[in-house]
Amino acid sequence: MKQSKDPFEVAFEESSPPDSPVEEIVGGQIEDEDDANVNVHPTSTPSAAPSSGTTVPPTAKSKDEDEEEEEENMDVELGKLPTSGDPHKMAKMQAILSQFTEEQMSRYESFRRSGFQKANMKKLLVSITGSQKISAPMTIVASGIAKMFVGELVETARMVMTERKETGPIRPCHIREAYRRLKLEGKVPRRSVSRLFR
Amino acid sequence: MNSSSAGPSSKPRAGSSQPSDSSFKRKRGVFQKDLQHMMYGFGDDANTSWTALLSAGFLSKQSSHPLPETVALLEDIVVEYVTDLVHKAQETASKRGKLLTEDFLFLMRKDLPKLNRCTELLSMNEELKQARKAFDVDEEKLATME
Repeated sequence: MKQSKDPFEVAFEESSPPDSPVEEIVGGQIEDEDDANVNVHPTSTPSAAPSSGTTVPPTAKSKDEDEEEEEENMDVELGKLPTSGDPHKMAKMQAILSQFTEEQMSRYESFRRSGFQKANMKKLLVSITGSQKISAPMTIVASGIAKMFVGELVETARMVMTERKETGPIRPCHIREAYRRLKLEGKVPRRSVSRLFR
Repeated sequence: MNSSSAGPSSKPRAGSSQPSDSSFKRKRGVFQKDLQHMMYGFGDDANTSWTALLSAGFLSKQSSHPLPETVALLEDIVVEYVTDLVHKAQETASKRGKLLTEDFLFLMRKDLPKLNRCTELLSMNEELKQARKAFDVDEEKLATME
C-alpha cells in the first residue's frame, strides 16, 4: 500500500513461490518485519518458474538503508517467511498463503509491512532517555516490541468486542478495556514509583 | 493510578506542539499513519461505514480507516508504553552506566513471543550487515580488477 508498483500482487500472481529465502541477501534494507528478503529468492532458485526472475524489481538491491523505511522490500510475502530456513514450516506457510482470499492477503500484507518509522522511534527514544546515543539495533528492538504490543492490544480489543457482541471498527472503549486486561496480565510495564503531578 | 483516557502527556489534544513542563515538544499524530496500517493488519476494520459508502466499488484494495480517536488513543498508549519500558531499562542499565540493547531483552524475558521476535530481528540485522559488507567488498574487488 506504499508502493505504486504493488509488487506484492505481482508476486502473488506468480503462484509458484520460490523456496529458498535466506542467504544471499544483497544490500537489503532492514526493517522491523522480517521481510529482509530483498527479492533474492527469485534469482536464486532455478527451479522456480522462469517468470519469477523478471518480475522482481531491482530497486531493492541497490538501496540499503536504515533511513529508508519506506523503501521496502518488494518481494515480501512469498519469500522469506517468519520461520527462516525451516522447510516444513515454510511449506506450511506457502500452503496457507496460497489459500488466502484477497482481503486476507491484503490484511496480511499490511501486517507484515507495517511498522513504526525508525526516525520517529529514534526521536522518541532520544527524548525519553535524554541522551543522543541511541544505537540502530535499539531502535529496531523498540519498534518491534511496540508493534507486538499494538498487536496484543488490537487482538484483545477484538476479543472484547466479540464478548460484548459488538461489530464495526474498534472503539476507544474496547482499547481501554484491552489495556486494562493486559495490565492485569502483567504485560504492561508498571512504574514502581507512581507518577505524580501529571 | 492512571486516568488512561487522558493519555500520558499533559499536552492538550488540540494543540500540535505546545510545550509544557517537559523540555521537548511532542507532536500528535507522529505514528498515525503507521498505526493505521498496523491496526488494519492486526484486525481492525478496513473501512468505517461512511468510507464504505464512498468507496463502494472504487477501491480495489482495502484501505484502512480506523476511527481517529482510536488511533489517537493507541498512539498515547504506545508512547506511554515505550516510555515506561525505557525507564525500566534505564533502571537496570544504571549500574552499567550505558543503555544497551540487552536491557530491553532482559525486560522481555518473561514475554517469550516478544523475546523471540527481538532476537530474530537482531540476528537479521546482523545478517544484513554482513551481507552489505560482503557486497561492498565484492564491489571493490570488481573495481580493482578492471
